[in-house]
Amino acid sequence: MANPRLTFAIAVAKSAGFASKLIGNKGETLPGRILLALEPEAISLLAANKKVILISGTNGKTSTTKAVATIVRQLGNVTTSGSGSNLSWGAAGALMSRAKYAVLEIDELHLPSIIAQTDPEIVLLLNLTRDQLHRMHEVKRVSDRWHVECAEASNTIFIGDIDDPYINYSIANATNSVRVSFGGRVHPDGAACPRCGSYLKWVGSNYSCSCGLTNKISDRQFKKGSAAFRNAALANVVGEVLETKPIKFKETELERSITKEFSGKKAHFRLTKNPASWSEALSAEHKSEVILVLNSRQVDGIDTSWLWDVSFKSLKGKKVIICGERGMDMAYRLHVEGITNTLANNFDEAIALVKKKEVSVLAAYTAFFELVM
Amino acid sequence: MLEIIRIHNELMGTYGDRGNADVLKFRAAMSGIRSRVTDISFTQVLPRTADVYLLGGAEDAAQALSYSALAKSKALNSAVSKGAVVLAVCAGFQIIGNSFVANDEKYSGLGLLDVNTSPGKNRLVGDISLDSEFFDESLTGFENHSGATTLGTSVMPLGKVIVGNGNGVGDVDGAVSGNVFGTYLHGPVLARNPEFADLLLERAAGEPIKVIHDQLADQYAKWRRAAIK
Repeated sequence: MANPRLTFAIAVAKSAGFASKLIGNKGETLPGRILLALEPEAISLLAANKKVILISGTNGKTSTTKAVATIVRQLGNVTTSGSGSNLSWGAAGALMSRAKYAVLEIDELHLPSIIAQTDPEIVLLLNLTRDQLHRMHEVKRVSDRWHVECAEASNTIFIGDIDDPYINYSIANATNSVRVSFGGRVHPDGAACPRCGSYLKWVGSNYSCSCGLTNKISDRQFKKGSAAFRNAALANVVGEVLETKPIKFKETELERSITKEFSGKKAHFRLTKNPASWSEALSAEHKSEVILVLNSRQVDGIDTSWLWDVSFKSLKGKKVIICGERGMDMAYRLHVEGITNTLANNFDEAIALVKKKEVSVLAAYTAFFELVM
Repeated sequence: MLEIIRIHNELMGTYGDRGNADVLKFRAAMSGIRSRVTDISFTQVLPRTADVYLLGGAEDAAQALSYSALAKSKALNSAVSKGAVVLAVCAGFQIIGNSFVANDEKYSGLGLLDVNTSPGKNRLVGDISLDSEFFDESLTGFENHSGATTLGTSVMPLGKVIVGNGNGVGDVDGAVSGNVFGTYLHGPVLARNPEFADLLLERAAGEPIKVIHDQLADQYAKWRRAAIK
């Protein structure tokens, strides 16, 4: 490393991270923050010596990044993002490693800038739906930014799930792309064409617009499947591009789910954070008792209006217990949908109300991390 | 039968506003009023004879599409001239005014409310509460828009802003003229403010409705009022 300022910045950042861990912090973003403060160009300087693979999208970033890292490890050492630290600091921190490959999860709004700084080999784009609208504002706004940056990055191969019209539009002008289709799926925000603004013509779960945007023409086809299935397949397309062997993942490996015992009861947690991930989780729900935990901190989305865009009908007949800082929003939402529920003051009270030995817990982002980590 | 129409929800439903129809139907039932919610999509003909029409928030392209269909059919204008109740939120509120801008293009609006919307300097995002002379208690919601809406002389605001920004011009939110209500409040606004739902039901019925007792609804509204002040 010829750049003395960068070498110094890395040394300081690493020791700060080490010190922070000694006093009990997780220390995931601190080294990156210090590194960027001392050397603002650190990301591009460090990325120059690596093969960089970026993963972004509304849902499935963290688990898909893990899967891609597993696949790429067949080729050499991999440095990857700490759990959920997907802003510039997270990327900078991960890039300090000497590993040849960097597999990084990147926040949707930060993606264009990180692409510009790292000139990545591959960018994998999973999906774009409504999420944290207080920050993202509109889905179209995010895809417009991606569209511009994907067209700029002519050295990069963009892999995208084009059943999502926003992803299709994002990579429409990319020099190199692998357009993947899973036979189509309905998109909750796909009524207007992201490219031309016309009313998008949907036939079942496939769309085609007069401007030419369609999911019917793709480079790689898979059968329909759950979000976990799709993300595993997309991770393996990264492997195909890098000419490695595919890895067969269990679907549960690609879900943000974890089982933990609370007062003798097995609680199966699943991370749910926006209409798309709630709908996905609810469609797979089969336990007779369910706890729903809703918060509204920054990463959860500070507005809870989206609850009304999710159908909770599948919970009818189940024992539903609700808690969390915005539990009352959820309780009233279900009340209007005709789903009997009990509002508990906190998670301990909620789990005490569970009669059976096992319960499903669908938890908002911050609640998931507080309860299981 | 009280006919409630949710207009173009696939386009005008970005911020959960579809819930306004669900809450209206729910409270109508509690008041002994039979009602039906019908979704009319962009490709369907909008009936002129419904009692309540609901429009929600949207992104620009969707807003322009919805407007073009409504301007062409004139069904909403016709229904309003016969006294129909309208609740239009955010992008929907802008559409029913005299003018608005979407994707840098100026549209003339349906002219149901004497308001003009132009792009504002900043996006206005966050919790909002209003002091409204239509209600004893304040209204609460969440706003997320960049339009700045100026009121003409033939409308009154829905309320005075206590917390947040509202129209982005003056200290007020929304506009009201006869049975037509426009606001920037999401939440959805009728879920957060049951008394607003009851006012719309009363206007649609043309007479006072049977008092509704829903403890959870009242508790929820009270809790949000206490949280946003």
